[in-house]
Amino acid sequence: MKYFLESKSGRTFEVEVNELADEAMSVTIDGREISADFIDVDRRGQYAAVLDWCSFAASIEETDEQHLTVNIAGESFEMTAYDERERAAQSVAGQGPPKAELIKASMPGLIISLSTEVGAVLQAGESVAVLEAMKMQNEVCCQNDGVVVEVLVAVGDNVEANQPLIRLAPPQ
Amino acid sequence: MTIKKILIANRGEIAVRIQRSCRDLGIETVAIYSEADRNALHVRYANQAYPLGGNTPAESYLRSDLIIQIAKQSGADAIHPGFGFLAENGQFADDVKAAGLQFIGPTAAAMAIMGDKLASRSAMIEAGVPVVPGSIDAVADADEARSQADEMGYPVMLKASAGGGGKGIRVVHAAGEIEAAFNTASGEAQSAFGDGRMYVEKFVVKPRHIEIQILADRHGNVVHFGERECSIQRRHQKLIEEAPSPVIDEATREAMGKAAVEAATAVNYESAGTVEFLWSEGKFYFLEMNTRIQVEHGITEEVYSVDLIAEMIKIAQGDKVDHLSGRHPRGHAIEVRLNAEDPENNFMPSLGVIDNLRWPGGPGVRIDSGIYPLMEVTPYYDSMLAKLIAYGCDREQARRRMLRMLQELHVGGVKTSAGIALNVLQSTEFIEGNYDTGFLERYMEEERHHGIGDEAPDDLEEIAAIVAAMHRQRAGKRRTVSSATNSANSWVTATRREQHARGH
Repeated sequence: MKYFLESKSGRTFEVEVNELADEAMSVTIDGREISADFIDVDRRGQYAAVLDWCSFAASIEETDEQHLTVNIAGESFEMTAYDERERAAQSVAGQGPPKAELIKASMPGLIISLSTEVGAVLQAGESVAVLEAMKMQNEVCCQNDGVVVEVLVAVGDNVEANQPLIRLAPPQ
Repeated sequence: MTIKKILIANRGEIAVRIQRSCRDLGIETVAIYSEADRNALHVRYANQAYPLGGNTPAESYLRSDLIIQIAKQSGADAIHPGFGFLAENGQFADDVKAAGLQFIGPTAAAMAIMGDKLASRSAMIEAGVPVVPGSIDAVADADEARSQADEMGYPVMLKASAGGGGKGIRVVHAAGEIEAAFNTASGEAQSAFGDGRMYVEKFVVKPRHIEIQILADRHGNVVHFGERECSIQRRHQKLIEEAPSPVIDEATREAMGKAAVEAATAVNYESAGTVEFLWSEGKFYFLEMNTRIQVEHGITEEVYSVDLIAEMIKIAQGDKVDHLSGRHPRGHAIEVRLNAEDPENNFMPSLGVIDNLRWPGGPGVRIDSGIYPLMEVTPYYDSMLAKLIAYGCDREQARRRMLRMLQELHVGGVKTSAGIALNVLQSTEFIEGNYDTGFLERYMEEERHHGIGDEAPDDLEEIAAIVAAMHRQRAGKRRTVSSATNSANSWVTATRREQHARGH
């Protein structure tokens, strides 16, 4: 199977992976073939990779199948990874009409203040609430322009990570 | 008297650290815990453990009356407050003593003077300890602040008398800015500390934060243990500390040590304490005294071969410290604070379950930690997970060992400060020892333009891409072979589900 990867720094990679006997694999990256041995060490996210006889202790954390962070030797690399089918589906989906946005809590915490109300017109980056966790106060900001159609929480509420706080409609 | 059992009024890493010294001394320990901390290491390592109920500090580790009651019920002779929570609460120290127990820390009187910036400043001026030029008393209003600032020359600092943690502090570069800065800083201090009094201080250009560790006994002996360099910090939160400082020679060390001893003597100090100085261009100025054991005490312990927590306990028993005087630092130690935070996202706290943990080992490695696999990092307490300490014969060996530690370390499930520390330790400024308290923020600003991870060799990013592809290939195969096959994530999911069922 072929995979298309993009790192947070913007570099892209095309990697083809073919499984061989045991744990061995054959990997082609950007047209270059290398030998690979890849073992799940603890079934908890630690992997032992040997690539052309160079050894790496890697660990992987997944947000979902396509979004993962690979840690090697103390360095972290956030990656998006699509296989051939997903990539084809993506290019078909293309660009639709702007969608309503849900502003979500970035972490669990306590709503200290809300600085918006239904009907307010917001600009991307505008602060809408202050969330407190670990004795630190953090601003919650909207990502896109929009109009507030619903405020889903109140000051004093304890919220979970990713809990929707505010519903935005696309700007008129 | 002899202390046989200590209640530790704290949690996490420092509670475990204190327990270890107690164990070394043959002293029993009593732990207290909030609901969120039922499974914590400090509970499991203790001889006795009592629940406080609740989760927030106010519901748990700040309940001084309940804590003293538990200490008496458990038969403890003394209470060690650690740092944070009740450590610098003079009323608590007095209440502990009134209950017939030893408080392992300074007196309420010393805390009161050193806890007030103006009172400590005038006490230091009287004792002959150098201070930053500035006003002796709080200024009445913005106008008085301006006339004082005009006199000492800009830039100046406006500081809240009751300030701490970076709140109520403003740098003012010109007379025109002073009124707005005064009003916001004073308002901030009023709401944060209930005290809006402000004073004016000369702004020290490119200062380094260098502090002296002292121990003082009840018999008037005060001993210093040299300096810690703590300039790698951001918004007054330290990230990397080292001992000794790359800029302090033996003569300066003795001069600063003498000033710290005089500072402690001036307030009849007892127990462990730290006198913080600003150092700039060969001059040093008293900043404040921290009347507690500090997070970064471990690097001093490494280079001075001393157990500061054990000495605190002995001091509370009435022992003397004079036999510890005249020591010199040997080798070099570097500490990295491992915090659950996301340096790429403005150091926002990172919460979650620690679903994987791999500690470094080998020569020169010390880890003071309170974390364990499957621990949940909750929003209730501060974000420090552990302290990594590297010891070497010299600075470069210590630095190399810390790099090795950070490369071997893996903490899964939450983001940590390990990556940014790894980058800073490889920066030219750190390698040359040429940095000040503004370094980390400047460094982060540059990183924001270039992107964190730029310094990693390019092929490491390529390796990461290959690993990600191989991982997806395996995961895809696993899903097709058997949807019921267990994986790392289902274990974590199960844990989260279990926590959910318990009402978290």
